[in-house]
Amino acid sequence: MLGWGVDFLRAEMNRLLALLFHQGVLDEQFLQLQQLQDESSPNFVSEVITIYFSESEKLLRNLRMLLMDRELSDYKKMEIHLNQMMGSSSSIGAKRVRNVCVAFRAASEQSNHAGCLRALELLEHEYCYLKNKLHELFQIEQQRALASGVRYPAQHD
Amino acid sequence: MDALQRAVQPPGAAGYGPHASGRGGGGGGDLAVPDQFPVGLRVLVVDDDLICLKVLEQMLRRCAYNVTTCAQATVALNLLREKKGCFDIVLSDVHMPDMDGYKLLEHVGLEMDLPVIMMSGDGSTNAVMRGIRHGACDYLIKPIRPEELQNIWQHVVRKKWNGNKEIEHSGSLEDNDRYKRGSDDADGSAVNEGGEGLLKNQKKRSIAKEEDEPELDSDDPTTSKKPRVVWSVELHQQFVSAVNQLGIDKAVPKRILELMNVPGLTRENVASHLQKFRLYLKRLSGVAQQQGGISSSFCGTVESNIKLGPLGRYDIQALAASGQISPQALAALQSELLGRPTSNLVLPSFDQPTLLQASLQGSKCLPVEHGVAFGQPLIKCPSNVSKQYQQSILSSQDAPSGFGPWQATSLSTVGNNNIVAGSNIQSNNTLMDIFQRQQQYQQKQQLQQQQQQQQQQQLPQQPLLEPSRLINVQPSCLVVPHSSAGFQAAGSPTSVNQSSTYNRSAVIDYSLPSYQGNTALNTGLASDKDLKTSGVLGGYSVQGSISPTLSSSSANADSSNCCPLRNPSAKYNIIGQAPGVVSDFSNIQGSYDAKSGEAIDQGLLKNLGFVSKGLSTPSLFTVDEFGPPLKQIYSGKVHLESSAGRVKQEPSFDFVDAKVSIPVLEQLSSNDLMSVFTE
Repeated sequence: MLGWGVDFLRAEMNRLLALLFHQGVLDEQFLQLQQLQDESSPNFVSEVITIYFSESEKLLRNLRMLLMDRELSDYKKMEIHLNQMMGSSSSIGAKRVRNVCVAFRAASEQSNHAGCLRALELLEHEYCYLKNKLHELFQIEQQRALASGVRYPAQHD
Repeated sequence: MDALQRAVQPPGAAGYGPHASGRGGGGGGDLAVPDQFPVGLRVLVVDDDLICLKVLEQMLRRCAYNVTTCAQATVALNLLREKKGCFDIVLSDVHMPDMDGYKLLEHVGLEMDLPVIMMSGDGSTNAVMRGIRHGACDYLIKPIRPEELQNIWQHVVRKKWNGNKEIEHSGSLEDNDRYKRGSDDADGSAVNEGGEGLLKNQKKRSIAKEEDEPELDSDDPTTSKKPRVVWSVELHQQFVSAVNQLGIDKAVPKRILELMNVPGLTRENVASHLQKFRLYLKRLSGVAQQQGGISSSFCGTVESNIKLGPLGRYDIQALAASGQISPQALAALQSELLGRPTSNLVLPSFDQPTLLQASLQGSKCLPVEHGVAFGQPLIKCPSNVSKQYQQSILSSQDAPSGFGPWQATSLSTVGNNNIVAGSNIQSNNTLMDIFQRQQQYQQKQQLQQQQQQQQQQQLPQQPLLEPSRLINVQPSCLVVPHSSAGFQAAGSPTSVNQSSTYNRSAVIDYSLPSYQGNTALNTGLASDKDLKTSGVLGGYSVQGSISPTLSSSSANADSSNCCPLRNPSAKYNIIGQAPGVVSDFSNIQGSYDAKSGEAIDQGLLKNLGFVSKGLSTPSLFTVDEFGPPLKQIYSGKVHLESSAGRVKQEPSFDFVDAKVSIPVLEQLSSNDLMSVFTE
């Protein structure tokens, strides 16, 4: 592990990010997020993403509950949830999730139950993919931090 | 201020370079710019989306702003209320579960007057439009980029600039600036602006004059430096409850102020707040109310103004009536009126409306709304004739001072009038001349007039043409104005014109034949009185003549009001316009003139018919009265009362008394009025 070194881990991160960008999972807003991280808030990105996950899962649960009630689906409420999901997703640069949200909202505006269900499944799928990839990213990040953490004290010693 | 604390920060702080965002970087004094404005800008971020909130917070910190975050709109609102003045700008999400972002926006705009930037992931035109309509100074679409946040300080600055301008501007619209602009606008507006604009301005001005002068004289005309009233939650709630109590349509700053009973609060403060409140309601409703629109900003006041205006005019009319009798009487009346100027403002207006409602709902034409709106209030007011007159008298006093500048405009308006009803006016002028000439003779001829009146009474029974002829001949002598009024319509060219104009107004306003007869008489009376009174008096006399009509119909009264304000020459024109007048305040006249002119034209034709009726109707009563009226003219005020008494005495007049009350009676002195009633 330690042998991989900080540079390798950094390269690994960049490779993963490039892939996610290429796939359209993330956009430049995520870079914006990374740039906001500084000494005053060293874990800013991971903090935000963690909140995002917990909030999004709440929203996804609510959306599913709303859609399960086939007859009495509250599309208005759904839209509210989707708006929030869109806002938060776009804030962290989760581009594909956001795009699915837009489609979802369009379906809910038309009270298209089937469309909403399809959109929900797609949304859950996109969300899971994003979550997995971001977790992967954070793991590399942690390793890199560890590696650098191990290394600097060594240098000082 | 925070800006100073943060002043030490390097300019680069606004960028994204790594640095301690939360606190003013103590170390680097080298690049420090002492008073770097946007640094330390106090920003409140409201968003139920924690992610956005966190990201925004960090971004704003990067901009070296002082950030406060809040996840609930209600909490944010409470925070804003508790810490008034602790924030420079608010960023708010649109969709929030506990309170709509638009609602928060309204509250903030209304209570704190802070710039608010809306944010939403929904960038649809509709959503953005809604935000703008609710007063958002900007609408950011998520994801929000740091570049956008770096610039938000501009809204703070802009708001302050605009705020200052607004104060001046709104001041001009409402109360303050009219002092500055005064007569200048009057000319231009009267000529150029549409009826609505004129109405607004005039109403506002007249309101300001009549309403404010008594209480706000101490107020410095230079409004821009006025201390700003902070509308706390409690204050706003008091305001809202006062408005609710009054009813939004009837809520007038003055009354709201009374209900709120907050020391230090001025009518202007309330007016300004009411304006905002109405805008807010309007925005909420999403529908721009048409007429409400005019009043929207000032609904209550505007209406009240209108009413006041008419009242004042009434007063003037009353004065005129008295004045017509003799200038001396006018002076006496004025002195009396001066005793209770304030009461005039409110009460007069009310009285008039009551009268109007009672007798004339049809007259709505111009004043319509006013009459309706005030109908209830009017009822409340006592309908004592004597009181009304006094008030009217007061108003007349006010009128000269307040409207002084307007007189100049009156000329212009007159011109307009001429255009509209050119022939009529001219004829009026000629009549005026005749009248003036006659004035000299009037006193001597008074006896003759009585005789003539009797003759006229007789004439009415005769075919119209004959009466007119007879009248014409007489007019040249003395009576022309009085008795001829009715007869003029029938035939004599010059004299006819005047009478016709009056008739028209009467007809238009009330569309009642009987009233027309009255109006005709009124004109006649007016002319007589005018003759007696010189220039200014003439104006008043006109009013006086109108006042009779007023008694019969409010519209007439209004017209008379216009007249008093303006020059004598204008007065005559006004008379012609009288119908339109109702709406009007001297200022407004210009706009209405056209209408009135038209109305007059139509009215003339009708009038002729009416006149004929009036003429035809034998007026036994009138005959009796005529004798007294003549005397009354000389006596002045006393006449009014006496005439009233007389009227009452006569059985046929009971009806008149009930509606018109004393004022009418005075004017009624002329035979025509009597005939009308008899009809």
